Amino acid sequence: MIDKAQAPGAVARTWLIDHIAYPAVGFVILIALWAIGGWFLEINPSTSSFVKFGLVPTMQAVPGLVSSGYVAEHVIASGYRLAIGLFLAILIGVPIGIALGLSRVTEQITNEPFQLLRMVSPLSWMPIVVFVFPRWDQAIIFLIGVAAIWPVIYATAAGLKKVDPAWFKVSRNLGANFHKMLAQVIFPAIAFDIFTGIRLALGIAWVVLVPAELLGVSSGLGYAIKDARETLAYDHLTAMVVVIGIIGFTLDTIVSALVRKYSWQKDV
Amino acid sequence: MAAEISSNQAPPAAYAMLVMLLRRVFFSAVGLGILFALWWFGGWLLETNPATMSFADFGPFPTFDAVPYMVQSGTLLDASQASGYRLGIGLLLAIITGIPIGILMGRSKVFRKLSNTPFQFLRMVSPLSWEPIAVIAMPTWDQAIIFLISMAAVWPVAFATSAGLAKLDPAWFKVARNLGASWWNILKEIIFPAIAFDVLTGIRLALGVAWIVIVPAEFLGITSGLGYTIQDSRENLMYADLTVTILVIGFIGFVMDGICLALIKRFSWHRG
Repeated sequence: MIDKAQAPGAVARTWLIDHIAYPAVGFVILIALWAIGGWFLEINPSTSSFVKFGLVPTMQAVPGLVSSGYVAEHVIASGYRLAIGLFLAILIGVPIGIALGLSRVTEQITNEPFQLLRMVSPLSWMPIVVFVFPRWDQAIIFLIGVAAIWPVIYATAAGLKKVDPAWFKVSRNLGANFHKMLAQVIFPAIAFDIFTGIRLALGIAWVVLVPAELLGVSSGLGYAIKDARETLAYDHLTAMVVVIGIIGFTLDTIVSALVRKYSWQKDV
Repeated sequence: MAAEISSNQAPPAAYAMLVMLLRRVFFSAVGLGILFALWWFGGWLLETNPATMSFADFGPFPTFDAVPYMVQSGTLLDASQASGYRLGIGLLLAIITGIPIGILMGRSKVFRKLSNTPFQFLRMVSPLSWEPIAVIAMPTWDQAIIFLISMAAVWPVAFATSAGLAKLDPAWFKVARNLGASWWNILKEIIFPAIAFDVLTGIRLALGVAWIVIVPAEFLGITSGLGYTIQDSRENLMYADLTVTILVIGFIGFVMDGICLALIKRFSWHRG
């Protein structure tokens, strides 16, 4: 009786401690380190012009940046480019990954060219991309897509290879056509791997987004960073760094929740 | 009889391996051939269209023409050395800070719970957004670039190390302690061999991210490195030099990734 009454409360309490209390203390430590850093900048005469990097000036700048719509404007511009770039990477990457996972010949033919292209640092395409595309927006979307496509392709292919070939036989024996097999066998089996690939792709796209926006455009998080530096608004700069961290963290948390939801191999 | 069978079977096994090797070489050649044909076709389109004729140097033949000059003048070697130095130091710093952090996360529950969310947050700050701060904090641009590389590369190393430790069977530690292993013995005989695979997987991911970060990091402030060569070729409208540099970046990345992959296979104990 007592056990039954206490168990849910105890579970909830452990959950709260693990997921709220510990991260909160961790963040307090991080913020304290930042405050100490700011304090060092302040007391040292040679660095006093950089005081605005500190915690307090940054936090003072945040309300103004948010209420003026500055943050929202640049977040929306970057979000649009990131979303289209990732969407294209997934749309093209998943079918290529399925082709690589199903056919050894395709895999062997594409191996060297794809690895070579994958290891071309995405930003080195920038000068070419700027000539090819009429607008900077499209060039940035291409750079994000070209960086994000490889994790999607290889995670999809790796997922398909783990699928037991007997499942294909069983579904064929049960009279499944290719479309049914795709919907009932392949996608449920590799959803976990595709989302793992998308999580990696998101991480890389997020790395590429900021330097891609440093040139040519006058919107987006990368531009906001550059703008803050050029106007010596260091408090805006650190505020934007925090915004980039918060958005990246949120996106990553969403995708890793999806990875966990579609996991059937083991608890990740 | 038995000897006869085995001697009969030996040639087919060697033969099968040879066929497999030839198949791989053949398929790689076909794949690279297709890539080259697409590039050539793109170059041909640029050349035949009057509006894009000035960009014809992006094609494969002007690019290959530029290779001997770029090699002889030392441009490629200097750029690769400058980038290699920054990449090497940056990755080294990421590894020597990332592995201890990862071991701490894997072995201490409290540290893991405290650090997980702040570390995930720092990981998702796009590395290049640290650039203005790094440039002000570090006395030289070289150090700022190395800092950016380390900042990007430390997270895959730390998280892979911690994930590797999580997979360790706690019974191994008990067995080792019962057999009288010291703390150092446990580290050397159990932890390192067990997590070498995961650490190397993390280093491979770190290398990939570092390779992405180094090019835009070298766009600004300095006058050496592969990123600078890209920037310089564009500004001087040397399109052939630009494509040569892109090829070199792809090739160096490909070789480094191949080395990491071979090391991962060598240290894998999870399955054949």
